[in-house]
Amino acid sequence: MIEPLKALIIFGIVTTLLAIIFLPKYGLYSRWKRNRRGMKRVLVEDALKHIFDCEYKNIFCTTESIAGSLLISTDEAAELLTRLSTMGLLVTLDNGVKLTAEGRSYALRIIRVHRLWERYLADETSVPPTEWHSSAELAEHKLTTAEAEALAAQIGNPNFDPHGDPIPTPSGEIPPKKGHSLLSLNSGEFADITHIEDEPEAVYAQLIAQGLYVGMQVMMIERSNERVRFAADGEEIVLAPLLTNNLTVAPITEEEHRITSPLESLASLKIGEEAKVLSISKAMRGQQRRRLMDLGVIPGTTIRAEMKSASGDPTAYNIKGALVALRQQHANMIFVQK
Amino acid sequence: MSNTPNANCEDCPVHNLGNLTKLGINMSQFDFVVALAGNPNTGKSTVFNALTGLRQHTGNWPGKTVTRAEGGFVYGNKRFKLVDLPGTYSLLSTSTDEEVARDFILFGQPDVTVIVVDATRLERNLNLVLQVLEITDRAVVCLNLMDEAKRHNIDVDARRLAKDLGVPVVAAAARQEEGIPDLLKYIYEVATGAYVCRPHRLERTAPRLEKAISELTAKIMNEFPNLPNSRWIALRLLEGDQKIIDAVKSGELENLSRNTTILSVA
Amino acid sequence: MKTTNKESILSAANTLRWEIGEHIHDSLVESIYADANQIASRAVTVPTEKPRFNFDKRLDKLITSRWFGFPLMFLLLAIVFWLTVEGANVPSAMIATFLVDTIHPWLKGLFTMVGSPWWLTGLLVDGVWLAMAWVISVMLPPMAIFFPLFTLLEDFGYLPRVAFNMDSLFRKAGAHGKQSLSMTMGFGCNAAGVVATRIIDSPRERLIAIITNNFSLCNGRWPTQILIASIFFGALVPAHLAGFVTAGAVVGVAMLGIFFTLVVSWGLSKTVLKGEASAFSLELPPYRPPQLWQTLYTSLIDRTAIVLWRAIIFAAPAGAVIWLVSNIHIGELSVAEHFINWSNPFGILLGINGVILLAYIIAIPANEIVIPTVLMLTVISTKLTGVGDGAGVMFELDEATAVADVLRAGGWTFLTGLNLMLFSLLHNPCSTTIYTIYKETKSVKWTTVATVIPTVMGLVICFLVAQVWRLITF
Repeated sequence: MIEPLKALIIFGIVTTLLAIIFLPKYGLYSRWKRNRRGMKRVLVEDALKHIFDCEYKNIFCTTESIAGSLLISTDEAAELLTRLSTMGLLVTLDNGVKLTAEGRSYALRIIRVHRLWERYLADETSVPPTEWHSSAELAEHKLTTAEAEALAAQIGNPNFDPHGDPIPTPSGEIPPKKGHSLLSLNSGEFADITHIEDEPEAVYAQLIAQGLYVGMQVMMIERSNERVRFAADGEEIVLAPLLTNNLTVAPITEEEHRITSPLESLASLKIGEEAKVLSISKAMRGQQRRRLMDLGVIPGTTIRAEMKSASGDPTAYNIKGALVALRQQHANMIFVQK
Repeated sequence: MSNTPNANCEDCPVHNLGNLTKLGINMSQFDFVVALAGNPNTGKSTVFNALTGLRQHTGNWPGKTVTRAEGGFVYGNKRFKLVDLPGTYSLLSTSTDEEVARDFILFGQPDVTVIVVDATRLERNLNLVLQVLEITDRAVVCLNLMDEAKRHNIDVDARRLAKDLGVPVVAAAARQEEGIPDLLKYIYEVATGAYVCRPHRLERTAPRLEKAISELTAKIMNEFPNLPNSRWIALRLLEGDQKIIDAVKSGELENLSRNTTILSVA
Repeated sequence: MKTTNKESILSAANTLRWEIGEHIHDSLVESIYADANQIASRAVTVPTEKPRFNFDKRLDKLITSRWFGFPLMFLLLAIVFWLTVEGANVPSAMIATFLVDTIHPWLKGLFTMVGSPWWLTGLLVDGVWLAMAWVISVMLPPMAIFFPLFTLLEDFGYLPRVAFNMDSLFRKAGAHGKQSLSMTMGFGCNAAGVVATRIIDSPRERLIAIITNNFSLCNGRWPTQILIASIFFGALVPAHLAGFVTAGAVVGVAMLGIFFTLVVSWGLSKTVLKGEASAFSLELPPYRPPQLWQTLYTSLIDRTAIVLWRAIIFAAPAGAVIWLVSNIHIGELSVAEHFINWSNPFGILLGINGVILLAYIIAIPANEIVIPTVLMLTVISTKLTGVGDGAGVMFELDEATAVADVLRAGGWTFLTGLNLMLFSLLHNPCSTTIYTIYKETKSVKWTTVATVIPTVMGLVICFLVAQVWRLITF
């Protein structure tokens, strides 16, 4: 029989080795997998995406901007552009580059997969918003067209990604860019957030941390060169003007806005209290949202808090005559008027 | 269409034999197929038992881990097969249960769909009823748990409800077997075409939806003129429902069209 | 021509979708409910005066109360388990007497009479028949009591309240409160517990519940736990405390199982299952008097009969294998002995032994036959005489002390007993359950995960316990 101490030591060594190799994110295996991303195809696809993005925003791409966005040297970027044009995906103009029809459809396919994947993560999984983009950056190169179409079918063929960007159709149609910057709103004007730009990541994370989401209703309170103050879902938010560049809004008329006073959530109801539903936060998505609406949580429904569970959460609410238990995290996203 | 047995015959079955076979329903011993829908906790299984007795067996829906109960009964010399659909609150979300129920009513085209409804929570149950009535025009509403409603002093006017919904409404307390004879009678009448339903269809959709729906409905009517539920198909297409998109592409929708004149209510 | 029309319908739909934006579903549900509201308000007259006495509300207040909620739940579950264990004893013994003590010799006589060769009699009567007899006698009575009781509580409306009370704990583990129900069902039978996860309508939480169900100590493992605990734990203390300590040890192992359920659920939800869909909703239906006959019928036919049938199907070939490995000889020794001798060092490293390893491999169809197999294998591998009925014939002894004698003769120590209890909790699900998991998930991947996780955990934990035990007792 092996001595127990020796056995334990051997066990420790084996476990450590396995951890070094297979640890998610930091392990050797996942590092190796990530490095394979440096392959040529990925670079080609990323470059196409970048150039398409420029064209969509009506600006010109340069070798430098490509190098910057792909994190490669200018020389490598120039080489990449030559490669792309020999592949017949783009043509070089005096002040930059332009995609050919073929290059455009290639780029749109990658973008479609990227945005579908983000939408899938947002609606169907519990992956946090800050990880959507980076996960989609991987998925867009991995999924085949057939897999992407199967995914689209499974999640109900969405036409917008969770940041509010339109998802190109399989045949490559995409509507022109719409909406204005938040800064275009005057004091007292209402708008819906239609898009939150997810790059650069640091800015995006900051906006998400403020609780902003696509579909949120905002009202401009005051804007100056130093700061922008606005109400979002009834709560006041202050941002640096630079950050608001990443927010696109669509103005709405007075009739359409439901939210006038600071919002209270369903979770704030005490047992026995009643309130009328004003809206469900757009941050509640996918199945969870559909399920709640099916159960009768829709604007205008009166809901009464009936009882708390023995452990304090969830709380059971009387919704159209039935007792339905909701977790606090979900009740927080249902806005009511007492 | 070989799928629609005896078109142009008033009291003949309308179910879609080809699709039913695909859904794992064997109709060789039966004349009509009746689907049983309803919210969870409405006493649906009690109604099922009251209708079929112990002549039932359970299994799974083909390819799904959703339980299915099947049973049969004879009424007025006709043999009815009763298929219990999973209890759902809606047919719009994408859970497997709802998909199974929806697909059965849409593609199987049961001769009658019985919707079991909790009389004490009518509004919430009507959500499902209205959705079913969008898909099929052959339905009977079983207003169950009338005994409980009475205990809570809730009064439900079944006559008024039947008028508003455009389908027969039977007040029942399935535990006490109350209302079951009436239910059987109406199932028979709707199945044989003796009772022609004029089901309620959604009246008030949001204005920005309305334009899109009517535009698309017109296009669909043009292509599939005898579809009993073109408006609903339009709605599903606007929501990007893949099953319906596929059905349009493959022409499957044509098989769902009704050739008989008396039924083109839509 | 037709095809182009169809294409034009679809492309028109697409264009319109861009125009409408994202709120189609919301507007649709809102308009359906608007109609529903109008129709309902015309048909329904609600009393202006609320009924003064509301039974449901009072009961809910008690059941979900901070102070009485959990004690009441434990009390009810304890009663259910007590009724199951106590109520199953007598019928179990009766069935065993009938199938093992009466039918088995009779079958043997019958086979000999018609002149069947000894190996055929052994294979079919001692192997296949005994395995099936054991599974039926141990499995049927507890399930026939447990499932109807459970279904009655469910139909009455109590179980959804349990899920309601327990949700906060399971939420922290990334799971659904209803998992408390499938977990409890797993205490009866894991295969039934896996089927019971159908009540969880969120895909991610359902997978979690399926994969972790095996951590619920099932009905086939309780007898093993009780027997081994009484031999090795009960013997540590004076006789009048033995029962108490034994029960404590078994409950401890079951609690450990619940602990692992939560820990593994948490781990799964944070890693491999992060990408699965998740939605929480839980309706608390009104209390309704359960329908006794319907409940009995459905729980006996749908649950008990199906699970039992599957178990019998899997047990039959296992009985044949058990008989074969102990009766096919290579050289001097049987296949079983070869394997035991070969795997013994590995078993010792894990604090168990080769007999236990072999028993768990060949008794994979049902945990019920592990102890009879262990006893039989111990007897043949230690060449004990005077106990048992020969090679390949599983047996059980009426007295725990007699079992203890056999086991100690096989070299068992307290550590062996402890680790057997741990390994009985943490090993692969029985083949009936594995098959059921596959049927429910339709995925080889998740079935493998559900099989490998507990096995690896069992091996690692037994190994660590053995080493630490040896270090401190050395």
